[in-house]
Parts: sequence; structure tokens; C-alpha cells
Amino acid sequence: MVLTDIINILLSGVFYGSILFLVAAGLQVVFGVQKVFNLACGEFYALGAYTGVVFVKIAQGIGLPLLFSLLPLILAGLFLFFIGPIVERGLLRFVYGRDETFQLLLTFAVVLMFEDVIRFIWGTSPQSTPGVYLAYGQINLLGAIIPIYNLIVIVSSLVIAGLIGYMLVRTKFGRIIRATADNREMSEALGINMKSVYTKVFTLGTVLGTLGGALVIPATAAMTEMGVELIVMAFAVVVIGGLGSMKGAFFGALVVGILRAIAISTYPELELLLIYLIVIGVLVFRPEGLFGGSRA
Amino acid sequence: MILSASDLRKYYGEFCALDGVSFQINEGEFVSIIGPNGAGKTTLINVLTGLLTPNTGKVFYKDREITGIGPEKLSKLGVARSFQLVNIFPNFTVLEFLMVAIVSRLGKGTNFYSSLLRNQEVTGEALEVAKLFGLEEKKNVLAKNLPQGDKKLLDVASAFALQPEVILLDEPTSGVSTSEKNKIMEILVSASKEIGIKSIIQVEHDMDIVFSFSDRIIAMHQGKILADATPQEIEKNEEVVCTVLGQKECFKIFSTLLKR
Amino acid sequence: MKADNLTLKTLEPKNTSVSFKKTKTWAILAIALFFIILPRLGSQYVSYLILTFFGYAVALLGFNLLFGYTGLLSFGHALFLAMGAYTVAFFTSKFSIFPMEIILLVAIVVSAILAALIGAVCVQYIKIYFAMLTLAFGMLFYSFLIKFYYVTGGDEGMRVLRPYLLGYELSAIPKMQFLMGGYYYYALVVLTIATWVMWKIVSSPFGLCLMAIRDNPEKATYLGVDVKRYRWYAFIISGAYAAVGGVLLAPVIGQVDPTLTYWTHSGTLVFMTLLGGFTNFLGPMLGGLIYIFLQDKVMSLTTYWRFIFGAILAFLVIVAPGGVAGVISSLVKKGRRGI
Repeated sequence: MVLTDIINILLSGVFYGSILFLVAAGLQVVFGVQKVFNLACGEFYALGAYTGVVFVKIAQGIGLPLLFSLLPLILAGLFLFFIGPIVERGLLRFVYGRDETFQLLLTFAVVLMFEDVIRFIWGTSPQSTPGVYLAYGQINLLGAIIPIYNLIVIVSSLVIAGLIGYMLVRTKFGRIIRATADNREMSEALGINMKSVYTKVFTLGTVLGTLGGALVIPATAAMTEMGVELIVMAFAVVVIGGLGSMKGAFFGALVVGILRAIAISTYPELELLLIYLIVIGVLVFRPEGLFGGSRA
Repeated sequence: MILSASDLRKYYGEFCALDGVSFQINEGEFVSIIGPNGAGKTTLINVLTGLLTPNTGKVFYKDREITGIGPEKLSKLGVARSFQLVNIFPNFTVLEFLMVAIVSRLGKGTNFYSSLLRNQEVTGEALEVAKLFGLEEKKNVLAKNLPQGDKKLLDVASAFALQPEVILLDEPTSGVSTSEKNKIMEILVSASKEIGIKSIIQVEHDMDIVFSFSDRIIAMHQGKILADATPQEIEKNEEVVCTVLGQKECFKIFSTLLKR
Repeated sequence: MKADNLTLKTLEPKNTSVSFKKTKTWAILAIALFFIILPRLGSQYVSYLILTFFGYAVALLGFNLLFGYTGLLSFGHALFLAMGAYTVAFFTSKFSIFPMEIILLVAIVVSAILAALIGAVCVQYIKIYFAMLTLAFGMLFYSFLIKFYYVTGGDEGMRVLRPYLLGYELSAIPKMQFLMGGYYYYALVVLTIATWVMWKIVSSPFGLCLMAIRDNPEKATYLGVDVKRYRWYAFIISGAYAAVGGVLLAPVIGQVDPTLTYWTHSGTLVFMTLLGGFTNFLGPMLGGLIYIFLQDKVMSLTTYWRFIFGAILAFLVIVAPGGVAGVISSLVKKGRRGI
């Protein structure tokens, strides 16, 4: 009995953690390079979710079997990449030189705007993709019943994590990202085109967020407050893992995902409470988080 | 003895910034610390003012150990410092700037009920300090709008307004045009007399200034003290002259000596 | 933090300030008079909005002490506002204690203690970390309110019953009359006192030190100012103010619920401050007034008021970070220079 519970908790925790990782990775890469904490990542997540529903419905319309719904979901996440340059070139770039607090406030403005964009396009009733989750079936693992979709998302997330890691270490763009995150002036002095780097990085961050939202859709529903709620979790991940660190996003997401799963299955009232106590604890005792850089 | 350092050592990893520095400053002395870049002068000042904690060694103020106690506590004890790079409150007027130091010194920082501008004690004193530094005319100018030389003066003036017994000046005339340097130094010296500062320690590169004003010169090189003597003795000290002052200075000083 | 003009501005040479002081005094009297006769003049609805403004105004005074004067952006300030509001709810509907004065006192004390505890943690950090920590605490409080629903009513919240003003039990009077009559003037008086006290605080030596901390914390340390401790004091005072604001607000809205402490509500406080102008003492209050009426107007025109407000905020941040007060003061400067 207990073993199956543990497996269930672990798997659902890792599943949610995988989604969180994607959004948090988007947050981290933007913070690392541009030093902007993007409060609007939650909105990108929400956009990804709603668009995912649309794409799945279209796919079903043209006869795609439910089992292949992963494809339209991923496409939905990738499709939204254009939001990145719009927000970055249209708004964010005007505040790069300014105090961090103003940059934060600008991302808050983006939150407000996107909240209503979503409301405008999809209204206030929840949107979902019925049947997709179950179409993937379940497997029996040591007595616990695991939805295969969860496993697929976990694997996808790991693949994406791997791709990001590879990109950061092996590709020119990745090296540029790391160099800029480390020392902006030096990178600029070395001739790196900051403007284009910023746009590309922000777009990467955006897509990670929208992908996260798209992939989570079969397991839940797209709802109005999902954006502002997610930022609360994403923020916890980033604090625990350390601001600006990819590894931090990974482990932070795991920690938060599993904690949340534990809380939900034991004392659901404690969900946010537990996570926030840990966030505050981390900020007090180890503000850099697990892998972070400098404090304040 | 008003300030003393005993066997200070400071390492940054492998690099040794201070290698066994010891000296004593007495009341009434104007001491200049000279040395090429990288000699450890700024590290020394940072350690003396409690910003950095040395790996070994102690700093004493009168008979009290002050190693690493931090700038805030230090300024309350009577040791103040100014910066090489101008460190100001950009949005404050000259008068308000000085008032911060005075308010802090008088311990009025937690007074949140009485009006500052009606407080004659504070505003009056701020005006006095401004006068001492020749900034009286500009008392309502915002610090960020002052010319560079005046910003420097203001920065130093605020340290003076703490009425410390010892003041450490990190390159007080850097960034100031040569013609103004002497004027600034004269202001500093006369202000110190007015305020009752007992000792001045400065890090300075301009040798004319150093030789004109100092009672004593401490020459540093690679974290060690090369010499600690009066200007006359330093002038004759070949090692100091050539290491610290450089080859050109070697020549200049020798030829000056020859002319004498 | 670029906060031009946020200095004492009081050290003007004595001979030129007389006429300016006279104008200022008349302006203040005019504003006061306006607020006093408003309930008689305008529609009930306008007066109702002004009532909500009173509550926010007090909270904003406190918020700007932290933001404009000390340079700390708190994204969790609605926590204390909610604390004040919930205090009223608890006292009136659960404990049946109605005197407003007692409620105010308790709210101030409890919030000050809470702010002292939370502040002790938060002031160790600055900028983004401070904003994030305060956001976290705000959301922590939110989760408390939701999870302990048997005490707090969960997400349905609690009702606020009518408190006694100065010992008078006024429940016989119909609600609107109560609000427009006695309560309106009561709140106005509280706001006036709060404003006067805050003015004293920012004009004091303590206020000077806060601004020094904002402008250059390192230099302030070198001048002997205990930066962390003073930030802590500012945090406590601003928390208490937010609570008073919450107390004033609660009877007006009649119901308190956890959304009062959601991080987006804290964002609203920041928005109001920025809108009016954080570099001016009265700026945030002006921002609150504009925000409340603008929101009311925009909401009546479209449900997508958030988009418009988001765009306004973006505009403010990018183009006019000094807010309305900033724009006005630069216009005045230009006028004086004769441009």
C-alpha cells in the first residue's frame, strides 16, 4: 500500500515538476542574461495552455487520432514563439538600462495586458482537451497506476533539458548566453550584438513557458487565473534552485513538484503553505538557493 | 597613539595584498601613504576602516581593537573616511547632504517626530561646515549638479561633519584639476583645525601635495611598508624614490637635491 | 532608484518662500474644503468611491515611505492592508467588539508586530530579492486565509459589521447614510491625521536618513547610519499604515476575502503609487484617486480594463516614471524658466 502511494506521489510530483522546470528554465535564462525577473512567464504558460487546446481541437477536426495529440501540443508551444519578440522589442527593451524594480513593474504591466488578451480571445470558462489524457492509457508499476501521458511529459522535459544543456555548452549561441550572463559589458565589448541576443533569449524563455503550458493541458484545464497562480510556483522554484541557474531550475522544480504532490495527498490545505515556508526558509538561510550566484 | 596597525596580512586567494603591515599614527600627524598601484594602499585603508577583515593582524583605535567592526560602528567611534571615487547622495542638496552626517553623529536618526528644518542645531552646523569648505554659496544645489571638484569636496566635507578624531582620505585630490588640488588641500587642512580632527591619513599619488602637506610619509610596495619617515628622509631614500616614485621621479628628485 | 525632487525642499531662503507657502496653504485648505462638502454635492456613488480612496490613501502613504523614501519595492504590501481589514471583520462579526477606536488600535499593534517579524527577514535583502520575499509573505498569508477557512471563512471571506464610531452605535441608520455621513467624516479625519503624522515623519531626521539610504546605502553606512535597522523601522511604520488603510476600507466594502492579500493587489498599490508619482509626498494619494475613478470609468466601458491599465502602467514605466506628479512638476519647472 505505502509503496504504491509513494510511487504515485513521486510520479505526479515529477510530472508537475517537469512542467515547472520548463517555465522556470524560461525564467532563469531571461534572468541570467537580461537580469529581468519576468513576472509575465505565467501568462505565457497560460497562453500556451489555451493555444494547446485550440491546436488539439483542430487536429481532432482533421482526423488526427487522440494518441498523437502530443504533436499539436508541442506545435502550439512552438507556434507562440512570436510573442517573445513582440514583448521584448515592443516593451522590454525600453527599460534595460533602468533600475530592476522598474523592469519588474513593466513585466507586471505585461501580466495585466495578457490577462485580458486571454480573456478576450477565450472568455472566462475553462478550456480542456477531454479524452486526450486517457487516450495514452496507463501502466501498472509495482501496483501503482501511472498515466502514460505523465511519463511522456517527463521524458519530453528531460529531452528538452538535455537540449538546453547541450545548447548552452556546445553551441555558439549557448556560449554567448553564458558569457553575457557572466559579464555583460565584456561581451558587448567583444562585439556581441546585445540587441539580438536579448531578443533571442527572451524568445527562448517565452517558448519554454508556452511549451510548459501546452504540455500540461491534457492533465488539467486552461483557466483564467492559471497565469498568476503559476508565477507563484515558478517563483518558488527559482528561489529554491537559485536565481539564474539552469541546474537550479531543474532541482528546484523537482523539489517543488514533489513537495506539492506530498502536500496534496496528505494535507491539501498545506500545499501553498509548505512551499512558501520553504521559499522563505531558503531566502533566509541560503538566499542563493541551491545553485545560485550572488545575493541581492 | 591614535590609530595603529599590527602585522596586518590580507590575502585574496594566492595573491598577497598586505604582507605584515604595522605602524602607529599619533595625534596631530598628517600622514600620507604612497606607493605604486597594486601596492596595497586601498586594501590598507579598507582594513583600517573596518570594511575588510584582515587574515591576521589587528587594528587599534586608541586602546580599542577595531579590526573588522564595519564602517558604521567605526564612524560612531570617531574614525571617518572618504572615497577615491566620489560617493554621494545625488538627489540631496549640499546642506541636506551634510545634515545626514550631523544627524547621525548627534544620534538623532531615530527622531521621527520633529521637523528637521526647524532644528537650528542641525541646519546651523551644516551651514558652518559648508562655509568651511567654501560650499556655502551652493548650499541648495543638488549634489549631482555640482562640478566634479565640488562633489569631491562635499564627499569629504560630509566625512568631516562627523567630527571624527581620525580621518582617512582615499586620494582626496584625484579627479581634480591640478590647479585646484592645492586649494582643496588647504581647505582640508584648515577645516580639520576648525573641527578638531586630530590626525589625517591620506592615500595620495600627487607627490607635490604629499611633500607639501605631510608630517610623515609611509611608502608601500607589494603589500609591505618600504619606509615610514619624514618627507625629508623619504626624499633621500633611494629605494623609495626609485620604486615608488618611478625612474622619472628618481631623476627629478636627484636633480632637485643636486640643486640644493 | 531615480527619485528626483524627493528631498525636503524646505531649505529655501526665507524671503522667497512666503508667497509659495501661502499658495500651498490655500491649496491644502481648498482640497480639505472640497472633501468636506463633497457628500453634500456629488452623487452618492462618487462619495462611495472617495470613501474607498480614503482607505487606500492611508495605505499608500505607508507604502511610499518604503518605496519612494527608502527605495524598497514591496510586492506584498497588501498583506498588511488585508490584516487591517480582517481585524475589522473578526472584531465585528466574530468577537462582537464594535468600537472603531479599539479596532484601529489593535490593527496597528498587531500589524506592527507582524511587520516587525516579517521586516526583520525582508530587510536583509534588497531590490529583486526584497520584492520577491515580500511577495512570498503576501502569498503565505493568502494561503493561511484560504486554508484556515473554519476561522477565516476561506475564499468566501468574512462579513464586516458596522463598527461604532466614537462610541456611537449607528446601526439604526441605513447603510448609505451611515457611510456618507458619520463614517465619511470619521475616515476623513483619520486620513488627515495619518497624513499629518507621515509628513512629520518624512520631514524629520529619520526621514532624511531614509532618503540617504535610498540614494546611496553605502555612503549612508559610512556616515554612521544603521541601514538595515532604519529600513526595518520604515517597514514597520508602513505596515501599520497599510493596516489602518485596511481598517478604513473594510466597512465600506462590507466583506473581506483573501484576494485582498493576493500579490496582484499589492501590484495595484504599486501601480497607484507610480501613477501618481512616487517622488512627491502627495503623489501616491493622487495616484490612488485617479486609479479608483479611472478604473470605475473604464470598467463601465469595457470588461478589458486590465489591458488598458496594463498599457497605462507600461507607458508610465517607460515614458513617465515620475507619474502624474512628475509630469506636473516638470511642467511647472518649464513654466518658471519661461520655456
